[in-house]
Amino acid sequence: MIVQSVPSIPLRLRVSAFATALAALLSMPGVLQAQHEMHGMSMEMEGGWRMAPMDMSMPMLPGLEGAMPVVGAFLPGMGMDISMFPEARPSRVVELADGDTLAVAVSMVRRTIAGHDMVMYGYNGQYPGPLIKAPQHATVMVRVTNEIQMPTTIHWHGLRLRNEFDGVPGVTQDPIERGESFLYELDVPDAGMFWYHPHVREDVQQDLGLFGNLMVLSPDPEFLGPANREEVLVLDDMLIDDAGLFPYGLESPTHALMGRFGNVLMVNGITDWSVDVRRGEVVRFYLTNVANTRTFNVTFGDAPVKIVASDVSRYEREQWVESVVIGPAERYIVDVRFPDAGEVAIANSVQNVNHFRGVFEPTVDTLGRVRVAEDAVAEDLRESFEHLRVHEEVVDDIDRFRPWFDREPDHSLVTTVRVRDLPLPIMQSMEMDTLYVPPMEWNDAMPMMNWLSSGEQVTWILRDTDTGLENEEIDWRFDVGDVVKVRVHNTPDSFHPMNHPFHIHGQRFLVLSTDGVPSENLVWKDTAIVPVGSTVDLLVEMSNPGTWMAHCHIAEHLHSGMMFSFTVED
Amino acid sequence: MDRIGGGSAVVCAVATGVLASFWSVSPASAGSGRAEAREVRDAGEACSAPEMSVRAPMRVSPSVPIGAVRRDSDYYSIDLVPTRRVPATAYVRGTAEVTFSPSPFVVTVTPDGSYDYEVHVRLPELREPRGGGYVAWVTTTEIDEIHRLGQLQDGRVSGRVAWNKFLVVVTLEEDPMVATGRWTGPIAFRGMSRSGTMHTMAGHGPFQDEKCAAYGYQ
Repeated sequence: MIVQSVPSIPLRLRVSAFATALAALLSMPGVLQAQHEMHGMSMEMEGGWRMAPMDMSMPMLPGLEGAMPVVGAFLPGMGMDISMFPEARPSRVVELADGDTLAVAVSMVRRTIAGHDMVMYGYNGQYPGPLIKAPQHATVMVRVTNEIQMPTTIHWHGLRLRNEFDGVPGVTQDPIERGESFLYELDVPDAGMFWYHPHVREDVQQDLGLFGNLMVLSPDPEFLGPANREEVLVLDDMLIDDAGLFPYGLESPTHALMGRFGNVLMVNGITDWSVDVRRGEVVRFYLTNVANTRTFNVTFGDAPVKIVASDVSRYEREQWVESVVIGPAERYIVDVRFPDAGEVAIANSVQNVNHFRGVFEPTVDTLGRVRVAEDAVAEDLRESFEHLRVHEEVVDDIDRFRPWFDREPDHSLVTTVRVRDLPLPIMQSMEMDTLYVPPMEWNDAMPMMNWLSSGEQVTWILRDTDTGLENEEIDWRFDVGDVVKVRVHNTPDSFHPMNHPFHIHGQRFLVLSTDGVPSENLVWKDTAIVPVGSTVDLLVEMSNPGTWMAHCHIAEHLHSGMMFSFTVED
Repeated sequence: MDRIGGGSAVVCAVATGVLASFWSVSPASAGSGRAEAREVRDAGEACSAPEMSVRAPMRVSPSVPIGAVRRDSDYYSIDLVPTRRVPATAYVRGTAEVTFSPSPFVVTVTPDGSYDYEVHVRLPELREPRGGGYVAWVTTTEIDEIHRLGQLQDGRVSGRVAWNKFLVVVTLEEDPMVATGRWTGPIAFRGMSRSGTMHTMAGHGPFQDEKCAAYGYQ
């Protein structure tokens, strides 16, 4: 077993015999050798490491030449013949009825991304995993069998399901060891788009392809407005260099400061996603961000975009937007109409910070393409598309909670970070780097320093400001039916502030306000971005009994301690 | 994936007090209050340059009551510092708070990824002038684009800005009701967004050839 999301075990102590064996394997001569030179460094490094890919225009920080992470390097299938693994295939749709059972194998697969053959993981050999569709209020079963080298679980992100099936090792279940199975019984009380992923070393397993969507279908045919077609877009990135997939930290994650940003952006596991539509089509996009740390700002050219729903519900009302800001683990449902023939790029459009040059750099990466034909769509939905619907059921539901909106917080958290034993040049440089901290980190602004920071040296912290307790020390207790206001402040006064996508398991919440500014159009969420320097007020409905996790959904932050549990008693 | 953008748009930032005090190696490090005032005057003078472009004012009616804004950190607060060019303002202090413009997301950005903010100017100690009125503006650090936030009422006004780096200036205008594209009166207060502190080793080192003197550097 390697590092897991087990709150009761100090992260730095979670090293297993498996990890030791892998480290020995990776230290064999010739197992991994970098294939490029950068900044005068040797392409060969010890322990299976090679230098992290980085922007060549950025200078090497003096004193870091030849530096390596303090943790070992890990890649799946190292030393094994890649041809022995089956080639992964695209995601398939699986429609489940109430009581149905789906068998899911967690296995090693072969993939080719950006011209590199690599061993990855897959659910049923697919990328992403199967798109599971189930009717609202059903109970469906998923039998998971683990065939990969390390233990795993599946967390059903956003579902208000029974606690024992939440997929958190050490909290709700034992990890599923290699060769073992676990039967998940999934209650799906809310309609919308959810997703599933491991809760064991997400920085590795999720990044290697273990993710998929679960679409819960409302019995109401008018739940969402009319659309000509639906497309599911799973947004992701991977870190790849000349030698292929860049190694992960073995005992704990590398890239602990900022998370592991990829340099290859993907939609549905591929780099060239596209769709052909007819002129005038209204396309409903289901967006899910499964990246370890990257927040996307998704644009659809000049096409009009209407936001309809997010994590756990529809918005109170549909609203026009010009882009979609989607943090790790968030979901958004948007309707987009393509009125003109031609090609529309779906892009990630952000302003990266270049700390060295002290500038914001406009950066646009094409995620996918929509080819719009000259032929007009047979069923013109323009009129309904241009009508912004009010979701009265959502408004009525939220109205029940308005008496709690203005009261003082029941609990307050502050996010911060503690570091130890980082190389001195990093410590010194960070003092310069943090001269200005942006509210959001859209890119890896310091790839070398970030890579060299591991979960052994970095502790990300959620601190209860009332008690001073941190992370696993926090033990909030509630009763079913409690409505709890939680204030989360992301302090800029730390060694390295960063935005955090804050996720609460098993419940739903509203983002009431940001920096005192009330949200004008509410929606039920399970994950919300807390920008640097901001204070976000959340109203959590404690409707689901059990012991649940709350954590940052940047995988490397989670595995650097940024999590706690709370209990809701029946 | 193909990369469309990625070019840098290096700008030469106008030094603020924070900037000047940090960059002890910078020529601007003489950064005393006096030096700051000189730089701001330079900025004001630059605004009358004929080649400057002016855009239409942005939305001036904020959606957020000024009193609702609550920042638990002053990290992004913009200190508004008097230039001492306007009588009875020398000891007045104020701030410009920034919050994300309302949107369905916690973080609001434009399609090009720029932060979309509401700026809340607060100068509670500011007395009404004997003539004219105070008007708040935001401008890019190159001062090539300017937006009028509006006339201060009781020392307050709010508006919207979608730039990652910007200056806030408060001027004394003869006719504050006239919605001109740029100020004509003297600058009474000025401040810079926190991002202006990204005035770094490369921007004025061997990698750039900025005309820093235009911004007050010697």
